Amino acid sequence: MSFNVIKSGFLSLVEDYGRFGLAQYGLSQAGVADEHAYCWANHLLDNHFNDAVLEITFGGCELKALSDASIAVTGADLGFKINDKMQPLWQVINVSAGDSLSWSEANSGVRAYLAVKGGFQATEFFNSRSVNLREQIGSKLVEGDEISFKATRSETDHHAMPSHFLPDYEQDVTLRLLPTYQFDQFDQQQKEVFFNQRYTISNAYDRTGCRLEGKPIKESQSRMISEGISYGSVEITTEGFPIILLKDSPTIGGYPKIGTVFSLDLAKLAQRQIGTKVSFELMDIEIAQQKRRAFNAFFAIK
Amino acid sequence: MFNIKSASENSIIIYFGDQMSPDLIEKISFYCQLLTDKLADVIIDIVPSYTSLLISYKLNLINNEDVCDRIEKYLLSHDIDTVESRSKLIEIPVYYDCDVGLDLEELLSEKQLSLEEFIAIHSSKEYLVYTIGFSPAFAFLGEVDERIRKNRLPSPRIEIPAGSVGIADNQTAVYPINSSGGWNIIGRSPLDFSLDNPDNLKHFSVGDSIRFLPIDKDEYLALGGIA
Repeated sequence: MSFNVIKSGFLSLVEDYGRFGLAQYGLSQAGVADEHAYCWANHLLDNHFNDAVLEITFGGCELKALSDASIAVTGADLGFKINDKMQPLWQVINVSAGDSLSWSEANSGVRAYLAVKGGFQATEFFNSRSVNLREQIGSKLVEGDEISFKATRSETDHHAMPSHFLPDYEQDVTLRLLPTYQFDQFDQQQKEVFFNQRYTISNAYDRTGCRLEGKPIKESQSRMISEGISYGSVEITTEGFPIILLKDSPTIGGYPKIGTVFSLDLAKLAQRQIGTKVSFELMDIEIAQQKRRAFNAFFAIK
Repeated sequence: MFNIKSASENSIIIYFGDQMSPDLIEKISFYCQLLTDKLADVIIDIVPSYTSLLISYKLNLINNEDVCDRIEKYLLSHDIDTVESRSKLIEIPVYYDCDVGLDLEELLSEKQLSLEEFIAIHSSKEYLVYTIGFSPAFAFLGEVDERIRKNRLPSPRIEIPAGSVGIADNQTAVYPINSSGGWNIIGRSPLDFSLDNPDNLKHFSVGDSIRFLPIDKDEYLALGGIA
């Protein structure tokens, strides 16, 4: 059972929850950029939390179903259609062999997720199906590819996400920051510059990192001895600008870090366009742990 | 002794010192193995690097305070001499020549060394793996003899061929795959370090020792090297 790729789109990647346990050999975590939309897509289909999905960035993608399937599309509104008819997001839809699935207009958000009942069965590299282009692990979809999946249609269709969970990807975003790493080494004035401004997402923004533009933090310490990077670390470059390190980031880095963005806020960031305003506020680690634990429990993440 | 800080909602970083040294990396390598074993039930990833260890853990099973307590207990109750090290010695053949060493000629003239002298200096030393990163299986090796140190290029090259051996300040490394990079390239190894062979991922571990074996062009070609 599979989909045939008619148009690959700007950037369409098979991703799962991520690649773990091998960071000491330099392998990035990789995995989906927006864990919120991804987890809902699998959850609606009663899939395993780690089942692989298709992450479609900016659209331009068209697939043809070669067999019947139950699917859910979540995340960005990229004008998802079946056979040229608009379809709802955030709910289970049954498709039939021969149907054409397309994402052709960027209405809201950046990344759409296509999950299929049973998950996509792309090749596993080092315990994960996630593609990481920076590491040359796997490759993006190209025209003519076939992406296969395991299950046939599910009988429990029409599962939909309750509408109060629906995210708004158009709003400016406040990212909650945990005081980690070198937080204490930034002085009061530097922290004021950081927390009291609205940064702008620059065009240096991909799955590896997101560079922000704004008023620079003066006299930031330059390079330091490289150390392990966690997902969401906020490096301050020598010029004083923040870079938020994301899923495909290298495992080590040598800029001082003012803190780490709470993981669930990185899901919000993943749907923001270049030019969106971003600000930061401090968050307590115990609260972050509680919220993430509740998220993990809801989506049965082990 | 050591100092633990948060690194995210489910990770902590342990600092063991503030300067890279062979003694410190031996200690970190030892503690990396120890904590990997002792925290096996809750650990997700561990990243050793120069002066620190980053550990991410399963939030569902343990909280920040308890993981720190356990780590402190293990670090305080295990002395580095009590367990045998699992570190290994790895030999890497290298063809040192201007054909493949894109920056060798400039380095020789700047350092006023003959090719033979340069090869002797670079290959006579046993290096330690201080960290792995930048890309998978890219091992940062130290320390390079002061007579052949050189800073990174002012701007990185777009593509450095796989197997290239480079120097950046006091460190040396082999590029496992074709990639961009700013190190001074002094030669090339004919061995395949790419992840096309998945076993290559674990070729190097922090704390391992590395020795470069100079080979001539015939040996380089015989071992599969590309001139």
